[in-house]
Parts: sequence; C-alpha cells; structure tokens
Amino acid sequence: MKIELQELVHSYPSGDRALDGVNLTFEGQEPVAIIGQNGAGKTTLVKHLNGILRPSSGHVLIDGTDIETASTAKWSAKLGYIFQNPDDQLFLESVRKEFEFGPRQIGMGQEEIDRRMERVADLVGLTGKLDTHPFDLGPTDKKFCTIGAVLMMNTQVVIFDEPTCGQDKAGNERLGRIIAELGRQGRLCIAISHDMKFVSTNFSRVVLMCQGKVLLDGPKDQVFSQESVLKQAYVTPPPLTRVAQESGLDRPVFTVPAFIEAVKDAGQH
Amino acid sequence: MTSIIEVEDFSFRYRNASSAALRHLSFEVERGSFFCIVGANGSGKSTLCNALVGLIPHYFVGRSGGGIRVKGNQVADTSIPELSKHIGLVFQNPFNQLSYTAGTVAEELAYGLGNHGVPRELMEEKVRQVAALMHLESVIDKNPLELSGGQVQRVAFGSTFIMEPDILVLDECTAQLDPLGSEEIFDIVKRLNDRGITVVMVDHDMERVARCADQVMVLDGGRLVAIGSPQEVLSDPRTMDHGVDLPDFAKLSLALQAEGYPVDRIHTTEEPTVSMVKELLS
Repeated sequence: MKIELQELVHSYPSGDRALDGVNLTFEGQEPVAIIGQNGAGKTTLVKHLNGILRPSSGHVLIDGTDIETASTAKWSAKLGYIFQNPDDQLFLESVRKEFEFGPRQIGMGQEEIDRRMERVADLVGLTGKLDTHPFDLGPTDKKFCTIGAVLMMNTQVVIFDEPTCGQDKAGNERLGRIIAELGRQGRLCIAISHDMKFVSTNFSRVVLMCQGKVLLDGPKDQVFSQESVLKQAYVTPPPLTRVAQESGLDRPVFTVPAFIEAVKDAGQH
Repeated sequence: MTSIIEVEDFSFRYRNASSAALRHLSFEVERGSFFCIVGANGSGKSTLCNALVGLIPHYFVGRSGGGIRVKGNQVADTSIPELSKHIGLVFQNPFNQLSYTAGTVAEELAYGLGNHGVPRELMEEKVRQVAALMHLESVIDKNPLELSGGQVQRVAFGSTFIMEPDILVLDECTAQLDPLGSEEIFDIVKRLNDRGITVVMVDHDMERVARCADQVMVLDGGRLVAIGSPQEVLSDPRTMDHGVDLPDFAKLSLALQAEGYPVDRIHTTEEPTVSMVKELLS
C-alpha cells in the first residue's frame, strides 16, 4: 500500500496554515516516526491520511486514488488511527466490547472476531482483562485497550498519536514489541512522538516537521545528525546520540551496543 | 537540615481494593530539597502524592495506618484548605484539577485565592504575574475547557503555584506538553526550588531525574525499595528490577565497564559521561 501526499495545504478559517505544502510518500512496512514541536502540524498531517480532515489544497493519494473520491468510512478500513487520549476513543463497558465494536460494524462473523481477539489481546497484554471496564484499567492498560481496538480491524496502516505519553519502562517495551510485530506482519506503522529515545529505538525512518513543513525526512541516523536543523525545530537528539556527538564519535548511535561498537572502532584507528 | 515532610510507617488501602496501594512507607523530605519519586505505573506514586496533600484521607476513602506530617501538621488531622497553604499538588491529568466553575482562565487561576479570602486587587495582581510566567496571557479570558491539553496543564500548574505553597508536589505534570514546553515548566520549577521551595516530583524521565533530584525514592508495589542520591539509586542496576529504567548515561557507563574499559564511576548525567567517553577515546 502506498500513501502519497502532494503539495498538501491545510488552512484554518483565520488563514493560518497548519500544513504548508507537504510532500511525503509512505510505502512498505518500515515504521515511520513524525517528530516536531506542538503546533508543527503533525496531528493535522496524520488526520488527512484517513480523511478525518480534508485538504484545503493538494492531494492525498492511496494506491494512486485521491481520497477526495471516497468517504471516511471507506478509508478507515485501510487505516487505523489511535488517539492520543484514550478517553477520546473508549466508550463501551468492557475491553471485550471495545475490541468487538469495530469488527461488528463491518459485519465480521463471531468466529473471526474471537480468533483475532485472542491474538490482539495477547499482543497488547490484556488477555486476562477482557471483561474489565476500560475505565477501571490503569493508564497504561487503557492506552493498550485503545491500541487493541484499532488492531482488531487488521488495517494495513496503523497510526499512533503520541503512544508513549505517561508510559513507564514496561509500557514502552510493550509498545516496542507491538510496532516490531506489525512490521513483521508487513503492516505500516506511522507514529507521532516527542520521545526521542522511543523514536530512535523503534523506528528506522524519521520525518521532522516545523511550522507546517517537512524539514527533514530520512533514515534516523541521517536525521539525528542534522544538529542545526533539529535545533531550529526545537528538537533534541536522544541522550546517547548527544553523548556520541559531543565526544566526537564518527557516526550517530542510538543504542548502548552501537555506542560500544563505535568506541571499539575508534580505538582501532 | 530539617525535615519539612515526615512519613512514618504509612500504609493505605482504597475502599473495595483487594490489596494495599502503599505499604509501611517511612521517609523524610528535607526542607528546600528536590525530591523525586520513581516507579512503574501502579507502584503507588500518585496515591502517595494524594496522601501528602491530604486528598487521602479527606477525599479518597480507605483504610490507612501510620502518619504523615507536613510542616509539623498531621495530615489526617488538618483540613485540606489549611494544608493548601503549605503544600500544593499539580495533577497528572490537568482536567482533574479544574474547578469546572470558572468561566475564564483568570477565574480558574484566582479560584484558590478566592477561597482564602485574598483581597481583589492583590488577587488580580497575582493572576497577572502567574499568567505571564505560564505564558497564558493570550488565553486569559478564554474558557479553560476550550484550551489545548498543554495549555490546561499550564493553567493547572499556575493555579497551584499562585497559592505560593512551601512545598510543590508534581505528579507527572508535564505529560501533556512537548519537550520545549515541558522544559519551560521545568525551568520554572527549578527556579522555585532555587528560591527555597521544596519540590516533590513524580517523573518517568530518568535523565531529568538524575539531573535535578537531591533525593530519589523508588516505589514498587506500594513499598519503598530504594532511597538515596540520584548517583546512588540511578547507577545501581538493581533499580531496574523494580520496573524503573536507569538514565541512558548509566547504562552506557555500565556497558563500557563490562567491556573492560577503565570506568571508575557509573555516571548518571550527560556532561561527566561525555568527559568519560572523550577520555576513553584519547
């Protein structure tokens, strides 16, 4: 599946541009992180991918078809969107019912629902909590409930809006496992995140946005090497990457093992 | 050195809960210090914050044991309005903190002062100052419910700060903000701490905890499992057994040491880590 954004502009009634001519292509299964400050246009951008918002000008093409030609409901079968605030998404009285709701709407049979439920509940770590009321879940599990409800739809593309907000170590690791598994299944993950550690650990491609424009787009090592552009967008590289840069290592590193390798290689020169 | 908060063998179980949220906690917070509470989600951090400011036992019902003294006052025997002169809480979810009676941001900020009978002129002056500090001038006449999550968080912070408590309790109060916004708030907290305000903060950002805290306490399953300086607690791999990450700087130091590099100290902050790596490379 291929998503193309062409000269995408989104203007507010005031005339201010939330998106100011964005050109981007998402394809394949390589997970993409969209970073940038609040107000950079990240959420506005992803809300165009499934037709929640319509462009003021420019085009969103999915597999070559302009989404202007179809309704939101049709595209939501292809793209799943996980809200930043679980309370905006959850409204039923058990995790099971949240998980069943989407599939029921598209007329999926109970057998298929049960089959998916088992897999999804296991992946998001809620197997033992299917009969719990979502508002009795802790903040971490509540977030994973919203993720599970979207994964039940088996969409080709899954969009996460700030998935790490308020997560602890275990929550972030669970999230990392989900993103890796979606990649293995050949599905595309797009995530908006402020958490540079989370981004550099789980994503290979990074898109940097600032004031409605794409400033950088590429492999994470290239993006996080552009210190001055990052600074201009008020983004700080993750801690290990900063240490590597400041101590003069010759390449961007994101993990402890990569750092050790870089130190070893530097020692041999 | 004097303690401003004394917690003695404190336990709490919410009514109808199957297990205790806090178990036999004993610790003290030094006046003027920066005290951080870390732990996995569900370890009891927010419950403890509620207990420090008196929401437990005055608002949340349950069974408690032991005691908490704030500036010498037993929390259980002191009313919330009286406690709020000394200790203020900024909630994790700012929407839980709004009064839902104020029609504007200015009224929301003034709400606590109004309850304490502060004269109108002084109130207006303080609202102006706090609005400027929290970058809320442009939304001062808006309804708090029309603001973005980040703006509501600033309102929540401002409405606590305006009371000028000696102790600020911050429960992941920057979760709704982006890194720049969160650093801005954080700079304000740091400045207040430099001016002698005691700060008790819950945070998942271990690099920040290591940089700012005088003391770090680790909770696991409602129990206190470690307490000490950030250097002691956040350089110790056993801390990770309690669902708490170490700062990346400590993980790097430990890994370099395990590889046989001459690392004489497990660093928890950025600058010494950079110096150490430069030394190794030279």
